[in-house]
Amino acid sequence: MIDFEEELSHYKPSLEIEAVEDAIGKNDLTDMTDLMMELIKERKE
Amino acid sequence: MDYAKRCHRIANGYYNQGLEKAKIRDLTGAAECLKKSLHFHKYQTEARNLLGLIYYEMGETAESLVQWVISMNLQPEKNRAAVYLREIQEKPGRLDAESQNIKKYNQGLYHAQTGSDDLAVLLLGRVIEFNPHFVKAHLVLALLYMSHGDYTKAGKSLQKVLQIDKLHPKALWYMSIVKSHTGRAEVERRKMDTAFSHRKMQDDDVILPPTYKETTGWLTIINITAGLALGAAVIWFLVMPAMERQLNHRHNQEMTGVLEEMNQKNLELDALREQVSSMESERDTAVSNLQTMQENEEGVVRQYQRLVQIVKAYGAEDKKTVANVYADMDISLITDPDMVAVVAEITSFMGEEGYQVLADMGNEARDGQKLDEALDYYQKSLGIKGDNPQVIYDMALIYQGRDERDKANELFGQVIMDYPNTELANLAKAARGY
Repeated sequence: MIDFEEELSHYKPSLEIEAVEDAIGKNDLTDMTDLMMELIKERKE
Repeated sequence: MDYAKRCHRIANGYYNQGLEKAKIRDLTGAAECLKKSLHFHKYQTEARNLLGLIYYEMGETAESLVQWVISMNLQPEKNRAAVYLREIQEKPGRLDAESQNIKKYNQGLYHAQTGSDDLAVLLLGRVIEFNPHFVKAHLVLALLYMSHGDYTKAGKSLQKVLQIDKLHPKALWYMSIVKSHTGRAEVERRKMDTAFSHRKMQDDDVILPPTYKETTGWLTIINITAGLALGAAVIWFLVMPAMERQLNHRHNQEMTGVLEEMNQKNLELDALREQVSSMESERDTAVSNLQTMQENEEGVVRQYQRLVQIVKAYGAEDKKTVANVYADMDISLITDPDMVAVVAEITSFMGEEGYQVLADMGNEARDGQKLDEALDYYQKSLGIKGDNPQVIYDMALIYQGRDERDKANELFGQVIMDYPNTELANLAKAARGY
């Protein structure tokens, strides 16, 4: 049986249109390729 | 192979996987794959654009905008995301309405989490009315319905979610609970058991030959039509004649029975008619006998009356009356012994004189041209004494005078034959023209 309160607490507010710009700015675009390249670079140094 | 290329390949693999899942509308699964793809290679534009598209399909317009904007930043040229963004921005007020709808959802979620369920249901209902693909709104609404025991409404909301995202984990989980409360789970379990159960082959099971082909829709219709036509033909040509024969036989039997009954009734009727006829005949006979008896009695009385009249006339020496009345009398009916003697005397008188009295009365009538009366008197005279050629001759003359030749000739012939060699015979011959 579902614990209604608990289940409901898992739901987060949906991203609003006005917050799109902030979301884009805060979006961490670092991918695995960047990390690997950085690790290789550090190892070479 | 360097690490970058390896990452690109992995990213590409995840993208392909996400694309496949998206095609079968496993949107949540596809989104997970696409996110992984982008973790390995952020320039996987196709993956990002598809992720944005999935967010948009699930009602997360802002999230889709984030992905498409980033996509355009990372790859400004030849990017499909430009089309999506233009599509949204071109329609005036569209983005504003989307924004308001998302805010409404957030308010609804807040009310739900703070215990204002009724208000939450109202707001979320409006949200999905504006955007029926808002998966999160459907899920929260279903959760609210379930908490209030309204599993039917919850099931409807979840059904819509599963139409958008067929394998949405939460929706599937909620739906399983809803089904367990509505009895739907048991029904589906039985269907599955029936559909996939294995059983031992029975003797009368039929194994379809390898040449068997599944029929198409049109072929099925044609087969059904042909079957109906064949059935109708069988009924028309085989069943109907048999039924008709049976009905005719039954009717014939009924008719035979009715005819036999009618025949029997007719025989009874004929017998009754014969009985009636016989009884009528007996009745007529009885009536006739009765009438005869009455007439006889009347005749006897009348004869006595005439006898009295004769006796009176006889006493007064009125011979004409005696002779005339006696001629009409039936003396056989006079049986009274006292009267028989009187009758005998009268009869004696009539034999000696009475017949001549009647002949004279006939002559008088003839002379008075009362020919019928004369003939009547002559006939009465002959009734008393037939051996009287003069009277016979006189009658013949009357008939001859009336041009009744046959009667006249018969009487003339009687005189000629019975009294030959007499003056009257000669006269009769002359009258006949001999």
